[in-house]
Amino acid sequence: MAVFQAALVNEIEKLYKKKKALVAVLLALAVIVIGQLAIVGVRSGFGLRGAGSVEFPMLVLSVVVNTILPLFTALVAIDSFSGEFSQNSMRITLTRPVSRFKIFTAKITAIALFILAMLFLLLFFSMLAGFIFNTNSATWVSVFQTVFSYIVSLLPMLVLALGVVLLANTFKNGISVFFVAILLFIGLKVLGVLFSQYSSLFMTTQLDWYNLFLINSFPLGKIIRQFLIMLGSCIMLFTAGFYLFDKKEF
Amino acid sequence: MKFNKKTAMLVSFTLGTLLVATTALADIASKSGYDQLKDALKVTAQQCSEKFDSYTMDLSIEVKDNGKTLESSDSTQKYDRSKPASENINSGSGNQNNGAKQYSYSDKTSMISWQDNDPTYYVSEYTNPEERQAGFFSNPFKESSADDFEKIADAVVGSLKDQVVVTENSDGSLGLAGSLTEVQIPALVNAVVSLQLKQQFNGNRKDMPHLTKDVFVKEVKGTAKVNKDGVMESILGTAVLSGKDEQGTVHEVSVEALATLSEINSTTVTKPDLTGKKVVENITNENPSSEMSNPEKFMGKFKNDILIEKDNKFVKVGERFVEITQIDNKTAAGRYYEVYKPGFEEYATAQRDFKFAAKKSEQQGNPIYDITTESMNTGKGIIYFDQNGGKINFNINPLSNGGLQFDSNFSPDLD
Repeated sequence: MAVFQAALVNEIEKLYKKKKALVAVLLALAVIVIGQLAIVGVRSGFGLRGAGSVEFPMLVLSVVVNTILPLFTALVAIDSFSGEFSQNSMRITLTRPVSRFKIFTAKITAIALFILAMLFLLLFFSMLAGFIFNTNSATWVSVFQTVFSYIVSLLPMLVLALGVVLLANTFKNGISVFFVAILLFIGLKVLGVLFSQYSSLFMTTQLDWYNLFLINSFPLGKIIRQFLIMLGSCIMLFTAGFYLFDKKEF
Repeated sequence: MKFNKKTAMLVSFTLGTLLVATTALADIASKSGYDQLKDALKVTAQQCSEKFDSYTMDLSIEVKDNGKTLESSDSTQKYDRSKPASENINSGSGNQNNGAKQYSYSDKTSMISWQDNDPTYYVSEYTNPEERQAGFFSNPFKESSADDFEKIADAVVGSLKDQVVVTENSDGSLGLAGSLTEVQIPALVNAVVSLQLKQQFNGNRKDMPHLTKDVFVKEVKGTAKVNKDGVMESILGTAVLSGKDEQGTVHEVSVEALATLSEINSTTVTKPDLTGKKVVENITNENPSSEMSNPEKFMGKFKNDILIEKDNKFVKVGERFVEITQIDNKTAAGRYYEVYKPGFEEYATAQRDFKFAAKKSEQQGNPIYDITTESMNTGKGIIYFDQNGGKINFNINPLSNGGLQFDSNFSPDLD
């Protein structure tokens, strides 16, 4: 366990030192600022309320889970694998007395922590902006729902990250991984709209699954099904990704 | 060790795949409440247009502002497909029709309408009954564009599909319910709908509160009852719009709509007894675009005035005439000429007087005739016979000349 911890700390430090993480944070803040400006504009321009203090974080979430969050998750995941393959720094990582499984897991955990950190950051700042600039519409229940929605969004993001990791271990070039990932993402999105009755098959539809938790009647069956689909995808993609990573020669 | 790792990987990969496959299949197979709602609507529309002999549809709408009723309306429609005949009763408060009940009855050959506060019965007789069958309820899902609309609706509804909750009762009937509060309504949808509603309320009604600030859709909810045959018996929808007026008072405008389907196969539609009633009768051809049943009525002279603008006044300088000398359902012939009043001959520089022949245009059903004149230099034109208005529309290019706007509408010259 101590070995794994060391590997994890190592991975987090690598991630933290990279500019990409900082850019991601800045972009996330920019989304909040632009969103808030848009709301203020709509309010004074059209006389609409736009979004209340609680709806604003939800609005931000609905935008970021489909745009910058998957984008930066993919970038970070690609960097963590393809980047190190091409810079040959993976060799250094592998020469340490840590099994490949632990290295792989540490990398995935670091990515998951990155996603979680991003979500919390977005949650904090969008709530702050929501309370400062918007009409107060908060109740304890709705605040709890908002926080919960942000937390559960981690799971579909993780599936996405594992998918990108699998791609990163399949293709050599980081750029081609990035483009394939984006094309797949858009393709799945389009398929999800065209074949909405089969939408649960496409991983991108689960990005919005936090909506299920907001429903008054709480559709437990649906939530469990979606959870199991994502869990299954996680196991499948993790195993496939690790298989390729394990076989790789450097 | 090596073997163990491989097995473990194989097992976990298979497990993951199976998990995804089975739950995804289960998810596809399970019908969301939204799908059941859609099915119920489809079944109802299909049964109403094809199977039920008679039924009553009722729709009532109420608009409230902070609990005070601003407007309400109720409309009952009874259909008897075996006759076929239908009856319509409309009533409403608010600024329309002062609360009086309006009735109308219609079958293949006639339409009768009357009102509570008016003893007169208005009767229209139709000359072409075979074209009136379509006036009854037709299945909207049978339209060619219905599939596309359904796809679009599915995409728009998207993740809200699971908001519809289904409860099954012991007798096989279903209860559907759904409610969306402000957090659940996507912000973009909320903004677009609020803007739309705000403009609708503010634009055309005086008694509606004038919402100017902080307008948003607060809540949308609905319930529906589906009987054991899958037919929707009632659907109730409520939407609440909140906003502030110029004085800063908060208004909650709610719109409630209730639609019911009742008396299936037991509705009777009776033609009102007109004996001893004051009756205003007219014979119309419901569909003006259909073939004329008695084109001879258009024989004779039609005219309109030639006007000029002089000293800020319209001055009549003469008359245009179209004289139809021959007409049937395929061809027509006649003469067009202009007569100027004494003293205005100076305007008659290009006084026209020509004969024309016309042939029914290819356009299906329309009583439009293509004109050919003896001297083709006046160009081609069309005549349209307006059967309901008893007018003709004579358009030939180019007929307008300096300062005098050509008026193509001709009324019968009955003097």
